[in-house]
Amino acid sequence: MATAPPPKVRPPAPWGPFQIPKPLQQLFSHFPLRTLEPNDLPARSQYLTTSDLPTLYIFATEDDALLGLPSFNPTCLKYQTLLRCAGIQFRTLPSTNHASPTGSLPFLLPPRSGCSAAAVQPIPSSSLLAYTAKHSEKKKEQQQPSLREEAYLSLLTPLRNAFLYTLYLDEHYTPLLNNWYIFPSTSSVLVQKTLRFQLRQAAAASILSSQGQHPSAGREQIDREAIFAAAGEALRALEELLGESQTGYFFGRETPGEFDAGVFAYLFPMIRHFSDYPLGEMVRNAGKGGELVRFCERVKREAGWRNVV
Amino acid sequence: MTPEGELQRTSRARRRLQQFPFCALEDPDKQPDAVDKPGTGNMAGNLTAGGSSLDEHHLTPASISSVEIHGATNTRRSLLDHAIKPLVAEGAHAGSTLGDVLERIGVAARKLSRFDIFKEEDFGCFISEAKASEDALPGDKKELDISFRVKEKSRLVFSAGTDFGNAEGSAYTNAVLRNIFGGAETLTVNASTGTRTRSAYNATFSAPINGNPDLRVALDGVRSSTQKPWASHDEHLTGGNIRFSWLTDKNETHTLAYSSVWRQLTGLAATASPTVRADAGDSLKSSIQHTYTRDRRDNPMLPQSGYLFRSVAELAGWGPLNGDVAFAKTEVETSGALPVSLPGVKGNTGISIGAGLRLGVLYPLVKGYSGAVQPSSINDRFQLGGPTDVRGFKLGGLGPHDGADSVGGDVFAAGSVNMLLPLPRSGADSPLRLQLFANGGRLVAMQNQRKRDSKLALDSNEVFKGVKSAVEELGNGLPSVAAGVGLVYAHPVARFELNFSLPLVLRKGEEGRKGLQVGVGLSFL
Repeated sequence: MATAPPPKVRPPAPWGPFQIPKPLQQLFSHFPLRTLEPNDLPARSQYLTTSDLPTLYIFATEDDALLGLPSFNPTCLKYQTLLRCAGIQFRTLPSTNHASPTGSLPFLLPPRSGCSAAAVQPIPSSSLLAYTAKHSEKKKEQQQPSLREEAYLSLLTPLRNAFLYTLYLDEHYTPLLNNWYIFPSTSSVLVQKTLRFQLRQAAAASILSSQGQHPSAGREQIDREAIFAAAGEALRALEELLGESQTGYFFGRETPGEFDAGVFAYLFPMIRHFSDYPLGEMVRNAGKGGELVRFCERVKREAGWRNVV
Repeated sequence: MTPEGELQRTSRARRRLQQFPFCALEDPDKQPDAVDKPGTGNMAGNLTAGGSSLDEHHLTPASISSVEIHGATNTRRSLLDHAIKPLVAEGAHAGSTLGDVLERIGVAARKLSRFDIFKEEDFGCFISEAKASEDALPGDKKELDISFRVKEKSRLVFSAGTDFGNAEGSAYTNAVLRNIFGGAETLTVNASTGTRTRSAYNATFSAPINGNPDLRVALDGVRSSTQKPWASHDEHLTGGNIRFSWLTDKNETHTLAYSSVWRQLTGLAATASPTVRADAGDSLKSSIQHTYTRDRRDNPMLPQSGYLFRSVAELAGWGPLNGDVAFAKTEVETSGALPVSLPGVKGNTGISIGAGLRLGVLYPLVKGYSGAVQPSSINDRFQLGGPTDVRGFKLGGLGPHDGADSVGGDVFAAGSVNMLLPLPRSGADSPLRLQLFANGGRLVAMQNQRKRDSKLALDSNEVFKGVKSAVEELGNGLPSVAAGVGLVYAHPVARFELNFSLPLVLRKGEEGRKGLQVGVGLSFL
């Protein structure tokens, strides 16, 4: 989720070698006299970073990740869905935004094996679409999003705001917030409090800035009714857009594309986790009713999560 | 009584006195206000002096009549009592000689000076013969008035400056509040920034327990952000600790501390390895730590003889400690030096041979009271290599590497031998030496003995097997070794080394350093 404060990514330290005179260089070339086999990586590192499969690092509980269950974080779920729909075999592991090259999850680590694994570079979420296209087992239609698709992506912003508001600023869902983002980080009550405060501040700032207000305007400036009204509008528009497409996916696609995965990544957690309170209800009842829920079922089936309720 | 402040008359006791050969002996008829006369300067130093005249008087019976302390305006009476009471303790009376009395005065003076609230240069002890009481026999019993004259150090000190140590330079500002409540309590507030420390704030409150300068308690709060370039990340620390430290009669120091620190591993470089990425994030370490030091070296910065033994043991996360990480970690360091004498050269040649050995083990434990054991993460594992430990390697140059990142190990052993030679023109007494050295070590990470891809957590049997095989791996094959020659300059504040070294044996991935390497620090292998 983009709400956690993104850790700063800094350039590598200037640790490089310096120029040395020729005779010294010749002397140096004799040393070391012997080079032995490398040291094996620590147990933790081997489990978390070496595998014959690529590893997608996402927000998830350890058990859910082990079973490959859907992430509760919309951005992670979007790419998890895309990879699965493309038929790519991968494993998932829980992680944090601090670990990601972009400052937010997910990112993918290509397969690497052995006790002293070769260095590999992680693939940030921005390159995951290209990775999916390259490694997909299924021959598919053009995955590049059209201009039209990109225009409709703005429909996701109200959904995102409603999602953020519900999870972070609605006290009713504090237990969920704790279980998803706070408890996996630390068992210390004080640190949990600090993290929760930071996350809530970041969520509020994100909502405010997407509404054209100053990010530090304060939580009181957030208009709850306006957020849910906008989300309702967006859901109706999505339902209509889906109806225009005869295939069951957006923009006449035969299989889920990036837009489908992006919409699914918000709708599915809303139905699954916010069912007893406005959002779940809104998704179920949008437009003529039920079409968005059926859409989610289709994507789930396509992604191989048939049994996930 | 005294113009400059309060006079604290601690006690009055009968003692025998004949003469006091080396402290300022006042005319017996003079009253205590005569203390303005020049004193002896450093009390603690002078009491150990004395010539043959001392020996004659050593066994004569002595008596203390009164003890006074002048100038301790802001110091609590009860604190001074702890130092002065033993002078006049009931049990110490019988058969007391002048030697005994001097001994006790010395002990008291040293105790006062260890509170670190009085200025060293203005510390004086004045002894005057008390007016004999009327029923005393002349020539047999003379009473003695003892007067300590002290000047308190400033209670508030600000300082700013630069520091060098462990391959880092930094600038700091420091404020010290001394003797806050009159009981030798100290509050130190420190802010610094440096080449590796992005920012560090530290506040320490420390106070002697029960008026004993050798038993102190300290409360410490810290917040810092430090670069770890050898593993491509920054570490943010926020936490506190409470420490008890004490000095034994054999001059060994113990420190027992409980600390709770929130660690955030973040700010990863774009090139950070998967291992570092996997360990990024938050964790709380709740641990108790014991440190023991026995230092018998003649000069810690340039040891020519003697030895050092230090051990650190830490228990984190286990049982009631809780927190996010659980392990037992212990580290032992020992080093020694022997002076080398040359035939035909009298006295100190300035040549010495030294050796050092460091060992450490990290043993993962059950977190809390039950459950599975998590293998160690990067901020708990040992790092080895660098100009102040295994020279000829980059910082964190030994042990497992993931790409360019040194990811640390759970078990290590490192040793060094060196020879210090005086430079031709500077001689044995100069702080400059030529150094020949060879050092090496191994840093090994615990492996999961089970086949891969089940779960991260281990059971206790697997942990035992893992640590055991890591320890065995230490002796498998040659250690990674480097040798070289260099200059050592022992400044009282820190030791500086400039070495030319070459790695002889190393493992793939380990980062040796060919050529020059500068080391600045307090503690070297």
